[in-house]
Amino acid sequence: MSETGYRSLADQLRAWSDERLSRLLVARPDLATPAPHDSSQLASRAATRSSLLRTLDQLSRLELCVLDALVVAGQTTPDEVASLVHADPARARAALEHLVDVALVWESTSGPRPLTGVADLLTGGGDVGVSGLRPRSQPAPDPDAVASHLAALSPAARAMLDHVAAQGGEATTGAARHTVLPEDATTPAEELLSRRLLVARGGGTVVVPGEVGLALRGGRTTTEPVDAVPELVTSERDQALVDRTAAGAAFDAVRRTELLLDAWGTRPPSALRSGGLGVRDLRAAALLLHVDEATTALLVETAVAAGLLATGVGADGAPAWLPSDDYDAWAARPAADRWRRLVTAWLDSPRLPGMVGSRDTAGKAWNALSPDLSGVHVVETRRMTLEALASAGPGRVLASGTGPPSLHARLSWLRPRRPRTRTEQVGWVVAEAAALGLTGLGGLAGFARPLVADEPDRAAAELAPLLPEPLDHVLLQADLTAVAPGPLESALARRLQVVADVESRGGATVYRFTPGSVRRALDTGWTAVELHDFLGSVSRTPVPQPLTYLVDDTARTFGSVRVGHAEAFLRADDETALSEILGHPQAAGLELRRLAPTVLVSTLPIDLLLPRLRELGAAPVVEAPDGTVHVARPDQLRARTPRERRSPGQRDAREGARVAAVVTAVRSGDRATSTRLQAPASALTPSGSLAALREAVELGLSVLIGYVDNHGTRTERIVDPLAVEGGQLTARDHRVDDVRTFAVHRITTVKPVEPGAAGS
Amino acid sequence: MNDGPLIVQSDKTLLLEIDHERAQDCRKAIAPFAELERSPEHVHTYRLTPLGLWNARAAGHDAEQVVDTLLEYSRYAVPHSLLVDVAETMARYGRLRLEKHPVHGLTLVSSDRPVLEEVLRAKKIAGMIGARLDDDTVVVHGSERGNLKQALLKLGWPAEDFAGYVDGEAHPIDLDESEWHLRDYQRDAADSFWHGGSGVVVLPCGAGKTLVGAAAMAHAKATTLILVTNTVSARQWKDELVKRTSLTEDEIGEYSGAMKEIKPVTIATYQVLTLRRKGAYPHLELLDARDWGLIVYDEVHLLPAPIFRMTADLQARRRIGLTATLVREDGREGDVFSLIGPKRYDAPWKDIESQGWIAPADCVEVRVSLPTDERLVYATAEPEERYRLAACTHHKVEVVRELVAQHPGQPTLVIGQYIEQLDELAAALDAPVIKGETTVKERQRLFEAFRSGEIGLLVVSKVANFSIDLPSAEVAIQVSGSFGSRQEEAQRLGRLLRPKSEGKTAHFYTIVSRDTVDAEFAQNRQRFLAEQGYAYRIVDAEDLPA
Repeated sequence: MSETGYRSLADQLRAWSDERLSRLLVARPDLATPAPHDSSQLASRAATRSSLLRTLDQLSRLELCVLDALVVAGQTTPDEVASLVHADPARARAALEHLVDVALVWESTSGPRPLTGVADLLTGGGDVGVSGLRPRSQPAPDPDAVASHLAALSPAARAMLDHVAAQGGEATTGAARHTVLPEDATTPAEELLSRRLLVARGGGTVVVPGEVGLALRGGRTTTEPVDAVPELVTSERDQALVDRTAAGAAFDAVRRTELLLDAWGTRPPSALRSGGLGVRDLRAAALLLHVDEATTALLVETAVAAGLLATGVGADGAPAWLPSDDYDAWAARPAADRWRRLVTAWLDSPRLPGMVGSRDTAGKAWNALSPDLSGVHVVETRRMTLEALASAGPGRVLASGTGPPSLHARLSWLRPRRPRTRTEQVGWVVAEAAALGLTGLGGLAGFARPLVADEPDRAAAELAPLLPEPLDHVLLQADLTAVAPGPLESALARRLQVVADVESRGGATVYRFTPGSVRRALDTGWTAVELHDFLGSVSRTPVPQPLTYLVDDTARTFGSVRVGHAEAFLRADDETALSEILGHPQAAGLELRRLAPTVLVSTLPIDLLLPRLRELGAAPVVEAPDGTVHVARPDQLRARTPRERRSPGQRDAREGARVAAVVTAVRSGDRATSTRLQAPASALTPSGSLAALREAVELGLSVLIGYVDNHGTRTERIVDPLAVEGGQLTARDHRVDDVRTFAVHRITTVKPVEPGAAGS
Repeated sequence: MNDGPLIVQSDKTLLLEIDHERAQDCRKAIAPFAELERSPEHVHTYRLTPLGLWNARAAGHDAEQVVDTLLEYSRYAVPHSLLVDVAETMARYGRLRLEKHPVHGLTLVSSDRPVLEEVLRAKKIAGMIGARLDDDTVVVHGSERGNLKQALLKLGWPAEDFAGYVDGEAHPIDLDESEWHLRDYQRDAADSFWHGGSGVVVLPCGAGKTLVGAAAMAHAKATTLILVTNTVSARQWKDELVKRTSLTEDEIGEYSGAMKEIKPVTIATYQVLTLRRKGAYPHLELLDARDWGLIVYDEVHLLPAPIFRMTADLQARRRIGLTATLVREDGREGDVFSLIGPKRYDAPWKDIESQGWIAPADCVEVRVSLPTDERLVYATAEPEERYRLAACTHHKVEVVRELVAQHPGQPTLVIGQYIEQLDELAAALDAPVIKGETTVKERQRLFEAFRSGEIGLLVVSKVANFSIDLPSAEVAIQVSGSFGSRQEEAQRLGRLLRPKSEGKTAHFYTIVSRDTVDAEFAQNRQRFLAEQGYAYRIVDAEDLPA
């Protein structure tokens, strides 16, 4: 910390290195939008109520306590602040540093000082780091003097003081005289007032001044230590078992997502007008997936967050939830990759699937995918929960019973001011993480650790060997079932689904062959021989005789009745008449086919066929007005992939670039201001401007220009002129750190900038 | 990934890969709580049901054991929600207990007050309970012991019955093992029952359930009421008891349509008990005729509904149920659980077969084509007529004749549903026929002749389905049945599964008409057989060796 201190926060910000300023803007991103003109504007923005609240919400309990101590202490040294906090001094000092870093506290010439708005916003009780003490009287009285005053009190007065301090530090005095010497005091209240252990605050109210409160608490703002981060209550579990359980859940999450989206691809649920998913559709999905509705809601929300599910237009033209066209690519990826996409989306999603099914204040149940179902703190809560679990170390899992409350306590310590619904939110995160396979048996899976450290690819790579290998065979049994004792290769699974019905899912899949399913396979172009070959090739064991018989028996009757497509038929009792038509040289275009001696069919519609037949000399009559058949196949519906999500790396890079740009802008604004302060700008004639600019081009100097833009706004900026021609100045603008052109006639002032101030 | 033999599915089925080296251990470990649903050649399917889990609880297993077993043998991770569900379901059993109070008699006691509050608020329960003694205890009307258990099971809070039993009127009964010995599993079954108090013993047909009943009676040493399905079966029980125990013929009474004897051991048929005249059951007093110390229910899965109602009033007496399967076609497994008792012993067919107690069977389905004229009649027939038309095609007579010719010298049963068809077959094969109208005396004569080898071929209707011991039958030919009932299939197959001399294989033929409802029903039966692990083949009648 600077020994000397600064005149103001703006002053301090100006003195900070770019790197430190960048850190501030990263920690408080609201300060950077829109880019502030200069450090003064930055400083004033940092002091606004909304920004302060946001920043306070990001503090840990220790940091809040330090801030509170600072408010109580008033002007003082960092060491004294640290000594007032019931915590390890080194940690208190570090916390104070952090408060300075996030610009809640600045270093004045007389020591660290909180921003003026902070004191009012520190509300609540001890659990959010508020001691409830009043600020010390200024100048701060000697603690020893306070102590001796306290020692001299009568027991009654002491009891009264303790009572007032315990009841919020405020009381009314009634008839007590305020101006009285200790020797003359007749009542306990007068004793306290005379020794300034209670201080009148007007309107008959007296308060316990901060120094007295501190003395009553043994010289510290709290009697309890505040730097003890609550530890997680954990128990030992074999990490391999944890990993296996988590991997099982991970695989299930992926499998269920695929199953659900496959089902929704052919029969999409409609999107509610309010944007959500209907309760009945959710229930049906839960039934399909064999999980409860909460897990279903999670999977649906995660699929949307991952861009696999989106609204589109269903078969009937109404809005519906459909798998996106990215889904097909996703479905073809290995399971670990698919998992990665789901969990990274979940981690970054502000959605609150845990709320689904509960009722809002108006008594209306929340629908899954409802647009309002998100919270600002969700992403952070997820990360912090996972980080807390990661801190437990390998082989340790949350103890059943006491574990979850301890997790909650830890998060409460880290972010005491966070939302009131944290208890629920933490519970949801824990349940969601278990359902998505990040945790198992209450402990973080080994493969999920890299994910917490923002290395999703490594996480997926570590998960992959824990997932069951896709199988290329099934066990065929005489009860006409096929059991796949594990996940099947996707192509094999799809083929089997045509030939047999799925009877049970899970780690394994049970398929049942029925006459219906075999017929379905024959319908899609399989032959009995192909079926036999297929069954023989996928089975490790001999194909049971009844199954062979089933295939043959179904194939035997298959196709004994044939159905075709025709637009028109021609019927005549006279076989020769039909033969004549069929044999006519110009009949080729009629697309006629003989079904029976007395029946012809044509694929031409009657209205085309009829005149052509008449041209051939026949005299047909229309027997039936209509007889067409429509064959419909359910379409595979797909929605557009939602806007591409940026990867965390990209996002960080962009953010970094943006922060750098803002820092540059602020710096440039500062220089503009400082230049203006030293030499007030005076209007120049256009020729004078030109001269000054040309000179600057020659000498490679930076100049401050006053410029009126298209909107008539006058701005001042520092530029490095590069060229002046055609009434245009080409120059590098420090503010945007880019080359811009300026109309010379709009330049109102040109001032040289001292090389020292221009250097950046 | 674990290398276990078990795969736990999300629909609560368990798949056991039986070729796995640990499959046997796994089977033993999961048998107490999972019900075997089917056992085809490679993968057996078990199912977790609340009843199964409660049966396990009743047998002293706890949720942790179940969860550990699943985790230990499961190849893939077990869905967490399923484990939670298992624990929760099992925890429901025994929260409520029926206990005897020295002053107030029967009471319902709870270790979990909210549960008690919940059930007391149920409308159905209201009439069965009396005064509240304290927060956790409430008086139960003595006569409602069974009804309350039934109702609580329906509410999902099965009560554990600690109210004990009356000893009944003592009567000396001992097993007479001078010429034979109780098999180990029979002894285990009887012991498990006795220690459990009341309950059901599940053993396959032919595994000697009668002897388990006799062993249970030897434990009880009290007057016993035995309820059986029909008169023939009653006679068989009597014969067995005289042969295997110290009981003499005079001590055993028969209470049936023909005779109404009440003796220290009385064998009654379901039919006579459920006989109804003018809205009343005239023979109900039998249940109170003596101070019975034990009630034996033969073929529990066939227990008619009125017997359940009567049993509800018999909760103070020890009850043993004997059956080949807990599966009831009417889905009243819950009533068996609450009124007779939890499953006390179970052994799968295949195990007992491999121990050599029952015969292996070769199941063949023979398909015949209807002749064109019959096809037309069939196609235009009313739906309710179709099965009879398809099942009774004359073609089948020819096939039966061929099959009988294939097994010369082997005792053969021809089983059918329709009397005309049976008569036709009997005429064509020149064999005696047993049907509903055959007198009991004549039936017994024919069965005896068949047993002794005097007759080599017998045509029987469904009267032979249950509880008639024909150990010598080696070939059964089924020409029609009652619409593909799994029950019936089990019983008919059971006829054949008595151990054969020299370990001969039994043959079980079913003749069905192709492309008709007959074949559809046959599919149910086939599935049942395959699920029981019996390999079966399908052949065309034309392919039969002439």
